[in-house]
Amino acid sequence: MSYRDQANIIQLENVDKFFGEFQALKNITLSVKKGERIVVCGPSGSGKSTLIRCINRLEEHNSGKIVVNGHELTSDVKDIDAVRSEVGMVFQSFNLFPHLTIVKNLMLAPRLVRKSSKSEAYDIAMQYLERVKIPEQADKYPSQLSGGQQQRVAIARALCMNPLVMLFDEPTSALDPEMISEVLDVMTDLAEEGMTMIVVTHEMGFARKVADLVVFMDQGEIVESNPPGEFFDNPTNERTKLFLSQILTH
Amino acid sequence: MDALNGWWDDFFWSSVVVVEVFVVALILTVLFGLIGAGAKLSGNRAALSIANGYTIVFRGTPEILVLLLIYFGSAITLTAIAQVFDPEIKFLDLPPFWAGSFAIALIVGSYATETFRGAFLGVDPGQVEAARALGLSNFKTFIYVRIPAMWRLALPPFGNHMLSLIKDTALISIIGLEETLFIAAQATATTGKPFTMFIMVGAIYLSLSTIITLSVVVLEKYANRHLEVAR
Amino acid sequence: MSFDLALILDSIPKMLWGIGLTLELLFVSGALGLALAIVLLIMRISGRWYLSAPTMAYIYIFRGTPILVQIFIIYHGLPQFEFIKDSIFWPILREPYGCAILALTLNTGAYVSEILRGGVLGVDRGLKEAGAALGLSTTDRFIYITSPIAIRLALPAYSNDVISLMKSTALVSTITLLDMMGIARTIVAETYAPYEIFISLMVIYLIITWGIQRTFGWIEKRMSRHVRSEA
Repeated sequence: MSYRDQANIIQLENVDKFFGEFQALKNITLSVKKGERIVVCGPSGSGKSTLIRCINRLEEHNSGKIVVNGHELTSDVKDIDAVRSEVGMVFQSFNLFPHLTIVKNLMLAPRLVRKSSKSEAYDIAMQYLERVKIPEQADKYPSQLSGGQQQRVAIARALCMNPLVMLFDEPTSALDPEMISEVLDVMTDLAEEGMTMIVVTHEMGFARKVADLVVFMDQGEIVESNPPGEFFDNPTNERTKLFLSQILTH
Repeated sequence: MDALNGWWDDFFWSSVVVVEVFVVALILTVLFGLIGAGAKLSGNRAALSIANGYTIVFRGTPEILVLLLIYFGSAITLTAIAQVFDPEIKFLDLPPFWAGSFAIALIVGSYATETFRGAFLGVDPGQVEAARALGLSNFKTFIYVRIPAMWRLALPPFGNHMLSLIKDTALISIIGLEETLFIAAQATATTGKPFTMFIMVGAIYLSLSTIITLSVVVLEKYANRHLEVAR
Repeated sequence: MSFDLALILDSIPKMLWGIGLTLELLFVSGALGLALAIVLLIMRISGRWYLSAPTMAYIYIFRGTPILVQIFIIYHGLPQFEFIKDSIFWPILREPYGCAILALTLNTGAYVSEILRGGVLGVDRGLKEAGAALGLSTTDRFIYITSPIAIRLALPAYSNDVISLMKSTALVSTITLLDMMGIARTIVAETYAPYEIFISLMVIYLIITWGIQRTFGWIEKRMSRHVRSEA
């Protein structure tokens, strides 16, 4: 597998994160190579969302090192901005800007951060709206779209910034069941085109099909991480086995 | 600061007047608010119209206008009535204390109407259904289920109404109530230190509004004590 | 006691003479107050204690004391100090008009900044995070994401404050200004007809209130068109 030879695009070393007294992340070490697709799963409160939110500094890690594409994440605003412009994030609750039309939602960051002109930003926006298969919704407002459509717009919005890595924080957890597949299809296409991605999700079918590595987290630690075949068929750790039995039985 | 010497007494007693007005007006406000809310929620078209009229008029009219209208209007009416019985009477008025308390209660009562109405509507219908299903009468349900739920919701905005009441008291000085602003005006005439005197009034009102705010915080904690447990 | 229709018809135009001043006070203080409120807001949410602490104190004082007292402190109180009389601001502070604008502005600024802050706090945290994840700077997030949404959320409360400001303008009649209230009081003093005069004036104020409410209703509708889902 060719990606193994490439440099790490994201590196976490001995990362701890505390919320007051509570330790959300315990000594996390993880490397992500270019083109690699990682699925992170685990029970509620295991720290999986916190993990990816630390990567784009939505949460601040307390100790350890996080390096993204050569930039180390520190409190320096320049480092944070450098990282955020290369990392895209998709949220569980979509977080589309309600006061802007769909196309304006996509154009906002390119214009303000990359200083693109209005027409450049518009072209990029329409290009990605086509990619997620809803160009006709461009002039509508988020409240007029279904959940699945909104999430696809959110993916397009993140893509407009040309990120090196895409982070997904439970992208389908807030969707009605019939809309989950349209979003997973977009994510699968993205993976097949070579996008590096870290996906926090409960969708094990997606993990089996798309992931290069499945990481299981529990109580702030990485308990087990393996390619999907071994992970699902031969889990080694007791906690992993327990988790799999709970989520795969129904 | 020495200008205040000799006036401490007056400021103290005039502050007591403010508190007295507050208490009277508060009782009336709650009364007007509950009646108004009741009228709006009753389903009776006439009551609803009158209550709506009440709310619109007293929320859209300057407080000072309401105060002067009630005071001078009632004085003219009372004088006219009194003159029927005793033509010697030149002028009969409602004491500024009562005219003023009534006026500000009418005004804040119109806001309280909306607050109580909203709070009543905010009561979980499920709780009411459960109470009725358990066999509680309409009246018992009202007292033991609706009112406790309602005042919990009404408390934060009602705290603001109480602040309005205490501040509106200053307006009553205009019709001669001897509360703090009135005293300060007198003190200014003798001492020639208007700033000192009026700042004193400001400090008194600020203290009173602080007491009210703190009381509301305590009351809110008490009202919501059952919610702290589940974490 | 009669209801003097002729007096009403005669007095209304006289009172309307004052509407220019009333509206001028409303618009000038409203605009200046809004500007002040924005400055206060930014200081309040800046996260720097030496900016937010004085701001919180300012807001606390101006919301905790009666506006009439604030007016008196500025108009009657400030001339106590020689340095005020010698300053460049004296031409403004000597005039009741200047004092009125100052007092109303300082007062409404405190209330409006809290209203704006309420709007800002109401903006969904997720939206701000999405902006951050996209790389938008803090300033850009505040201007393009937080502010538009906060303004829409704050509109109802803001429209109420504008109505309060309008009602407060009537208080300038206590410092000799001849706005509608001031003229009305002069007429009543001469004619002893509080009912006719004050009730007519009440109607005029209610019309203005209605106008303000209609205007804000229209603005709210326009701003919320993207919130209603057509699905």
